[in-house]
Amino acid sequence: MDVPFIGQVPTDVVMTWVLMIIVGPVFIIILTKMRKWPLIWEYMRTTHHRKIGTMYILASILFFFRGGMDALLMRTQLAVPENEFWLYQGDKYNELFTFHGTVMIFFVAMPLLIGLMNVAIPLQIGANDLAFPYMNAVSFWLFFAGAMVFNMSFFFNAAPNVGWTAYAPLSTEAHTTDINNNYYIFGLQVSGLGTILTAINMIVTIIRLRAPGMRLTRMPLFPWSTLVTSILILAAFPVLTIALTLLMFDRFYGTHFFTTEMGDPVYWQHLFWIFGHPEVYILILPAFGIFSDVISHFSKQRVYGYRSMVIALILIALLGFMVWAHHMFTVGLGAFANTFFAITTMMIAVPTGIKVFNWLFTIRHGSFRVTTPMLFALGFIPTFVMGGVTGVMLAVAAADYQYHDSYFVVAHFHYTMVGGTILGAFAGIYYWFPKMTGKILDDRLGKWHFWLFVIGFHLTFLPQHFAGLQGMPRRVFTYLPEDGVAVYNLISTVGAFLMGISMLFLLLNLYKTAKTKETASADAWYGEGRTLEWTVASPAPEHPFEKVPYVKSVDHYWFHKQGTLEMLTADNPRPSPVSVKTIQPFLLGGVLSAMSIAFIYHWLWLEIVFGLATLAFFLIRTVIDERESVYRKEGET
Amino acid sequence: MTTVTQELFKDKRMGFFLYLGVEAVMFLTLFATHLVYTPPESGAHPEEVFKAQEVIKASAALLPSSLTLLLAERGLVNRNRALVWTGLILTFLLGALFLAFELNEFYRYAAVDGYVISMNNFLASFYVLVGLHAAHVAFGLVWMVILMVRFSVSNLRDYFIEKHRIFNYYWHFIDIIWVLIILIVYLPYII
Repeated sequence: MDVPFIGQVPTDVVMTWVLMIIVGPVFIIILTKMRKWPLIWEYMRTTHHRKIGTMYILASILFFFRGGMDALLMRTQLAVPENEFWLYQGDKYNELFTFHGTVMIFFVAMPLLIGLMNVAIPLQIGANDLAFPYMNAVSFWLFFAGAMVFNMSFFFNAAPNVGWTAYAPLSTEAHTTDINNNYYIFGLQVSGLGTILTAINMIVTIIRLRAPGMRLTRMPLFPWSTLVTSILILAAFPVLTIALTLLMFDRFYGTHFFTTEMGDPVYWQHLFWIFGHPEVYILILPAFGIFSDVISHFSKQRVYGYRSMVIALILIALLGFMVWAHHMFTVGLGAFANTFFAITTMMIAVPTGIKVFNWLFTIRHGSFRVTTPMLFALGFIPTFVMGGVTGVMLAVAAADYQYHDSYFVVAHFHYTMVGGTILGAFAGIYYWFPKMTGKILDDRLGKWHFWLFVIGFHLTFLPQHFAGLQGMPRRVFTYLPEDGVAVYNLISTVGAFLMGISMLFLLLNLYKTAKTKETASADAWYGEGRTLEWTVASPAPEHPFEKVPYVKSVDHYWFHKQGTLEMLTADNPRPSPVSVKTIQPFLLGGVLSAMSIAFIYHWLWLEIVFGLATLAFFLIRTVIDERESVYRKEGET
Repeated sequence: MTTVTQELFKDKRMGFFLYLGVEAVMFLTLFATHLVYTPPESGAHPEEVFKAQEVIKASAALLPSSLTLLLAERGLVNRNRALVWTGLILTFLLGALFLAFELNEFYRYAAVDGYVISMNNFLASFYVLVGLHAAHVAFGLVWMVILMVRFSVSNLRDYFIEKHRIFNYYWHFIDIIWVLIILIVYLPYII
């Protein structure tokens, strides 16, 4: 549609503008009326792990709706053969699936898990905060800045359009000359840096801040999975950083790393998947950790085979680095490479299988309670196993020539990512909600959410296996009636809307819970908590462990309640991290987004100005350092 | 140092080492990129581009700077302010000299000899890799200025020692990267 002074703009973008103009002021008025600004100001300056975790989760739920909307638009376009829904054909459809994939991986799944880690990890290991509270705030605001940069692309009618994998040479200047994919580079670059810093924070916290007596072998499994995941992040994300940098040089400064004439497009695929495959384990391992804790909690059983659970985590992480080329079976790497990567991929099924059996054995001995988090865990097991089975099918290199780039792959990774990561994140949100807010989410609405979501999920993605086997390629915006995939697509679309509706139950639940006066006790779930987070008040106070516990066993708190172990206090616990209130991380995020925009649009002077402003934050940080006063105090005594 | 600051410093040191690990993976990826694209199929070859004296000049400046920084470290332990100053200033000058040589080398290759970044992927990966290293040196120089200001203004000895230690790790790290650059990027083509 023709907008005065601006020119041709697609109607969906115009609609967003109009919506922003209407909703923006209304939102501001409501916030002012409800006197929420002091609270927002408080959160903008916080370095407290629980508050930052809550912001991570809120932001990712917001982006979940954003990415979900893309999914519904795609499913509507694909509902019937040769459909012409709105303007989502051709390049617009490319923007849809690129946006959906990137947002869901980087701005939903990652921050949901990182948010839960922020909330739960320090409490579970008996620490008073993460090791570097200031850096934790920086991480969050970098993630948020990156996500905002990425989301701005749609707003300025320049959404990336080459898929979440940004395969070269399509993503290079030669084929996509518009600025669209610059947004992809900078959005991921900025938020990726935030992720790296979080991983450092988590590792130092888990290695150095555990309560006395809590050996690594006495640690709950969620911290274990966080530790392993963080190590994976440290090894994988820098590769993405460099891959994006090289792509940036290709697009901006005339190099040819990934173009066809001088460079090698397959090299991009290698770099991307050396990052990308560990990335999917980065997404799934924390979910495994959450499920282990949830299942053990509600089965009133110590997790079956604790040691094998830890070993399985480590094995999956190690193998995760040796499988990246299974995304590239059809590239033509040769029989040897394909065989090698096929075998390593199949091997991952072994440690994963160990974990699945251990969960089942944990349940088998217990008389378990079907609460909402437990329900998500129970739904996860069969769903994820199906995703695992198709994963092994895809690992058969020869057969993969048939499956490759078809809807079979789409079905597979949704079974693992949604069936694993997202169900895990939901379980975690319901489970630790008392620790975040001091209230328990409504169980009845939670169960509505679960059943609609899981039924919708299987309706959506089960038929996609068959569409894929019928030869329907992914990333196409339509198909013909005689392709024989129409019925699968229709069912899939119905299922997608069911999932969309289920999410409204989550919103309703959040709203209803916010309204109730009922507060949760410290040991919020039937007084049957096993790990240290259930010993502190709900919501977790700023300094949760005034007296640091001395831990003697896995699930020490549980055995204390059983009367077999005493709850001892450690004599000389190590000092807590120094927390601080500061607006710097927020401002840093703002400056980095501005710099990204300057780069995206090639505004050289602004690049320099905001680049220097970014560096200035190092200077500010070295002058204003909360630990200086600690040194000063010690110098005096 | 007493316990609280000691513990906090240990946290920080561990975090910083992990960060250097992240940097190491980034450089590793760039080294891999360089090896993948060198020697190039078209355009200038490394034998034509590299001038041995440039590498020797730059290395002669940067490699000793890790040693001069140890002087400052020793000065801190012996409470010898003059030695600290000598170490810091010498390190700074050597680092600045290195940066000047690097910029001169880049200028000579790109502007004088015409081996520009877009010529082929050997040059592209060379400029990105060595350029990233040079940027690290530049960052380190500014860092050192801040360190010197702090040293002359602040009376918090332990706090300064902490800051100095962290800088030490950084500086030695970029020296190690430079050694790898010599071994992997330059040496195979200048001897």
